[in-house]
Amino acid sequence: MSIAQSILDIAIAAAEKESAQRITRVNVVAGQLRGIVPLQFTFYFGLLAENTIAGGAYLNLEITPIRGRCRQCEETFTVEEYRYICPKCQGEDIQTVGGTELRLKDIEVE
Amino acid sequence: MKISVMADILEANDRIAAANKEVFGKHRNLVINLMSSPGAGKTTLLERTGEAVRDKLRLGVIAGDIETTRDSERLERYQLPVVQLTTGTACHLDANMIASALPHLDLSRIDILVIENVGNLVCPAEFRVGEDFKVVILSVTEGDEKPLKYPLMFRQSALLLINKVDLLEHTNFNLEEARANARRVNPDLEMMDVSCTTGQGIEAWISWLNQRYQRKFGNLKRA
Repeated sequence: MSIAQSILDIAIAAAEKESAQRITRVNVVAGQLRGIVPLQFTFYFGLLAENTIAGGAYLNLEITPIRGRCRQCEETFTVEEYRYICPKCQGEDIQTVGGTELRLKDIEVE
Repeated sequence: MKISVMADILEANDRIAAANKEVFGKHRNLVINLMSSPGAGKTTLLERTGEAVRDKLRLGVIAGDIETTRDSERLERYQLPVVQLTTGTACHLDANMIASALPHLDLSRIDILVIENVGNLVCPAEFRVGEDFKVVILSVTEGDEKPLKYPLMFRQSALLLINKVDLLEHTNFNLEEARANARRVNPDLEMMDVSCTTGQGIEAWISWLNQRYQRKFGNLKRA
């Protein structure tokens, strides 16, 4: 829930800086490892946004997959179902290089 | 009109966490962010730890709870320096809450500071508080599939304590399965079986703390 609040705060600050009257859409990128449940998350966001300039804004959540990099053969790949095994060399020493991001990409305003 | 923002949503928190970490480093505190679901045994682990380390290393605790101060009351019996944070509605501790607790602790007299997070396997994993390591407790009364359901928590932790192993025979918890699931989300995760009731594994947990301390700061400081 505090993540929804942080998104709202950052979005409103960005909109006010451009003297926008209303936020209509908020585009967020969240890595799969963040474990964000979209339905619950958009519900919280909607609640918090009520009576602000983001009231009624559409929250678009783009969930990005977990990406791993094999420390043995350098192969980069998408980790599915948390199987941290290199598809090329079957190595198990995998570094997470994507899937933990949590970014407010942009907002649409009027 | 589209406004590009590209802001890291947790950046403000991470900045404060970095400042906390600097304070801890100055005082030579090894800081552990202890997380689990409610009832997995965080406070009991700290009670056992407090008893066991009494003269060997100085433990301090920041305990987060949504409403009550019961955890800190339990810990004060062991003469540990404890600060209780009641978070109100928040389901986790964040860096700012920890910063607000620091003036109430004499950090120069603490070797290992454990931040006992709010019982929850989701949100606490999102917020850095300035810790050196995250440690997660999973108790055998919960279920061996938890690492797959809450991957971020297990992915970000350095150590998994599987607690209440004395109850294993009464549950359908499969220890091997739990370990395999945990390894799937985090191949680097260290694991230990413990029972806060029988004391099994407590010594191993304390030597883990000691080793981490020495790796970071060398020998223990003595007042």
